[in-house]
Amino acid sequence: MSEFEAFRLRAHDWLASVAGTFGKAARKGLSEAEDLALGRRYLAARFDAGFAGINWPKEIGGQGLSHIEKVVFDTEEMAFGMPTVYFGISLGMPVPILIRFGEDKAWVKERVIAALRGEEIWCQLFSEPAGGSDLAGLRTRAEPDGNGWKLNGQKLWTSWAQYSDYGVIVARTDPTQPKHKGLTYFWVDMRAKGVEVRPIKLAGGDSHVNEVFFDDVRLDDSQRMSPIGGGFGVAMTTLMIERYVATDSGGFGPPLDLFVDLVKGLEINERPALNDGRVRSAIARNHAMRAGLESITARAMQMLQAGMEPGPEGSLNKLVSVRSRQKLSELAIDLQGNLGFAFDEHAPVKDNWTTSWINAPTGRIAGGADEMLLNTIAEKILGLPQDHRPDKGVPFNQIPA
Amino acid sequence: MSILYDEGQQAIATESRRVLDARTSKQRLLALLEQTGTFDQPFWDTAVEQGWTALAIPEAHGGLGLGLVELGLVAQATGAATAGAPFLTPGYGLALAIMGSGNADIQAQWLPRLAAGEILGVVALAEGTAPLPTRPAVRYAGGALNGTKHAVPGGLKADIALVWAEADGAPALVLAELAGAARTPVESFDNTRLYADLTFAGTPATVLAAGAAAKALALEILARMAIVTAHEQVGGAEALMLTARDYALTRRAFGQPIGAFQSVKHRIAELYGLVEIARANCIHAAGLADGGQADLTALMIAAADARLGATETYDTCARDCVQVHGGIGVTWEAGIHLHMRRTRSLAIELGNMLFWEDLLVENLTGVAA
Repeated sequence: MSEFEAFRLRAHDWLASVAGTFGKAARKGLSEAEDLALGRRYLAARFDAGFAGINWPKEIGGQGLSHIEKVVFDTEEMAFGMPTVYFGISLGMPVPILIRFGEDKAWVKERVIAALRGEEIWCQLFSEPAGGSDLAGLRTRAEPDGNGWKLNGQKLWTSWAQYSDYGVIVARTDPTQPKHKGLTYFWVDMRAKGVEVRPIKLAGGDSHVNEVFFDDVRLDDSQRMSPIGGGFGVAMTTLMIERYVATDSGGFGPPLDLFVDLVKGLEINERPALNDGRVRSAIARNHAMRAGLESITARAMQMLQAGMEPGPEGSLNKLVSVRSRQKLSELAIDLQGNLGFAFDEHAPVKDNWTTSWINAPTGRIAGGADEMLLNTIAEKILGLPQDHRPDKGVPFNQIPA
Repeated sequence: MSILYDEGQQAIATESRRVLDARTSKQRLLALLEQTGTFDQPFWDTAVEQGWTALAIPEAHGGLGLGLVELGLVAQATGAATAGAPFLTPGYGLALAIMGSGNADIQAQWLPRLAAGEILGVVALAEGTAPLPTRPAVRYAGGALNGTKHAVPGGLKADIALVWAEADGAPALVLAELAGAARTPVESFDNTRLYADLTFAGTPATVLAAGAAAKALALEILARMAIVTAHEQVGGAEALMLTARDYALTRRAFGQPIGAFQSVKHRIAELYGLVEIARANCIHAAGLADGGQADLTALMIAAADARLGATETYDTCARDCVQVHGGIGVTWEAGIHLHMRRTRSLAIELGNMLFWEDLLVENLTGVAA
């Protein structure tokens, strides 16, 4: 047995031992506040069991293992439906950036351990009304103020800001520079005076994203995590931190087995639906696509284990899987006829075709819209040119609105 | 089972591509399209010279004793080149049947000659719309075959054929020497495939497998040939994707390369995604088949995934590659239609999408169509 297989078994055994307390069944019917509280307890238990910060250095509270163990654990954990969603962004992006760029190491270690234990949550304040895909078009500004900065503006689509203790933020510090060059990266105390969080209710009924307003929020210069004007570079580093993450060929919706189970109980024209060619085609095409994504992931893991750099094809997963989840969810609802109208907005998206369907568009936009992912593939992998960009090289304050 | 290619396998991939790049001529292939009953002899000489015919035949029978992974990599290179002879995959299918027969005399008689490329073997399982008919119309009795197999790939030039025929009321796998069979060429959109109706009238033949064993062996042969063909399709698809990319970088319109327009670059990025997903299925299926641990159900599932992905990918790449080229893409001279034609011939030869969809779902759920 390889060391990774041994780790996988150890992780699986521990997860199975606590599944009754924290897993899918235990979460059923909980309010969001109760679920979050359960999630905090789960993270504390995970920390105590030695499965937190798996690939982070031991000196700051991690386990000092590799990417491989991290992905192995996350993949195992995903199957149990643990209440980790509130902490995904926090531990995925802002905290790793803090580890890398935070100056006061003792303070950083305190924050890291508190975040790993679920006691504190960090959010990432990037997108704005005027800058989502075009991040560098953001308008929130930080102006020099004594020995620090004064922050004003608005962020949008900030996941879990309503529960966050801290955030990382990119703000414009010099509007006379071209747009990428006038940005600076800070951390911000979400409890500070002048910070206001307003949850946004999404189409599916939940409110995990927020608008965040900053009104003369005072930042100390020690909260700056990049050189002045070097914020865009740090923000890009964020995207590189977790290049190899646990993937889900089902696009974070229901697995294909669940579709087959559903179909087995249905009829089309008073004949078994599973004998219908259209249904068989949908199952077969989705199986082929998902199997391909899973083989890409399996090969990436083998490359990591062999000390090689996995190929760029790993970047296809979200683009392909979420789109197909959206269409398969539509079909699953349609196949049920009038029985398909029922809707429980709290049903987990991995078990329920209707919540999977209504929340699928979010998956195609958040964390890189399909179109941006296609741009990245075309430009970075295939070497095709960038679009025409009229704002290139133009001082930000001279770009026509 | 996904695998990482080892150094030997990477060398096979590079070398087969290099040799074919050097020796394939678009002009030659275009000329062959307008002639029924000919194929690209220089390609076949290369295949024999390079040992590709021997790759997946055991060393004890004069082969190289390698597997589907290696044969798949060669097929990928031949797919990229739209190689002009249909014998590599069928010859492998025929060799599988002979190995599966367990008959040492037949193995000694044919396998070394297939490995050496001295004879051309083809596979004639399909009849009409059925890739593997439940009740084949071609009949075997008393050591002889009677009946017709329509449009057998390679049939016009082959020396021996694996035939799916009824014997004693059940389908069997039968080996027939084609010297005495009548051949009628089929005028086709992809003439180097050498499609021919093979008519048997008392043609001498030998049973390789009968009864339940015949069905299982036929499915395994179909699955393994489908995996090779899927590699060939992926090779063609990748070549088209890269051709589209290269054209989008050089062709300019409205003051910029057309590859700067999202309508074009996104189209090509989508092709990249299809190619990589289809390739991953091929690698998985070949690794699984060579691993030798998989049961027939697992092999059929992997082969179907590879086949479905590869067919859809090759079709889409052909459509979109032409589209990216605009007017030049539909000319005879540009030759993209060599691939377009090949997408259809390969889409049908190993069983069409409908067949593989049903087979996949049957193997996943236990429910037949």
